[in-house]
Amino acid sequence: MDMSTDISNTAVMDYFVSMLLIGIGVALIATGLFTSYFGAGKSQKIGFALLFLGIGTIAYFIVFYPLEEKTFNEALVSGVATLGGMIIGMFTILFVLMKVDTVDDLEDLDLEDLEDLDLDEELKKLEEELNQADDKETENGGENSEDEK
Amino acid sequence: MIDIVISMGLVGVVISMLGMGLLIAYYGSSKTRNVGFLFLVVGAALAYYLVEMDTSDVAFMNGMLAFVGGMIGGIIGIIVFLVAIIKS
Repeated sequence: MDMSTDISNTAVMDYFVSMLLIGIGVALIATGLFTSYFGAGKSQKIGFALLFLGIGTIAYFIVFYPLEEKTFNEALVSGVATLGGMIIGMFTILFVLMKVDTVDDLEDLDLEDLEDLDLDEELKKLEEELNQADDKETENGGENSEDEK
Repeated sequence: MIDIVISMGLVGVVISMLGMGLLIAYYGSSKTRNVGFLFLVVGAALAYYLVEMDTSDVAFMNGMLAFVGGMIGGIIGIIVFLVAIIKS
């Protein structure tokens, strides 16, 4: 691959500006088509305006822009190929990430505190506390009834 | 022409591998971080292949100019659309 960094003005005009105009035109045509089809009232009018603006941009590029067909083909193919390569790379990354188990292992968790816990003892303590609370309530209830008598 | 498609397609794969690899390696959990480093290695290997071993006569800077121009053009077009819709 030719990695030379000598970019002349003609290269900037031939490759950068031509693809800039094509990008603006394609984006305006796409958004104009979308808005003019799905929009209503004022939005639809704006959609038609964007559509005609995009068509005008592309038409200007085709009619007035001084560019050889070979150069334009190279620029277009380069831009589309790079974009396609990026999309393929993104899909590859998503595929690998979905296939890899991304949940952390339980070994990473600090389980020492849980191991020290004796669940049976904790349950017994809770039951005892509940029983004591019930006994207190019944004693208090008995004293109140005697007072009432 | 097929040389341009292959070489610039590989450039696109390198860009996404290095960019996403950096993000995943930095922000990922313990397992995804390793995958991020793998993506970085693959991206670096592909970049090395393109710079040192690829013998095709494809001008890298011209291709990148075309790609960046197309991207900026698309962004400008969408900004024009958003401004027109929001202002209406």
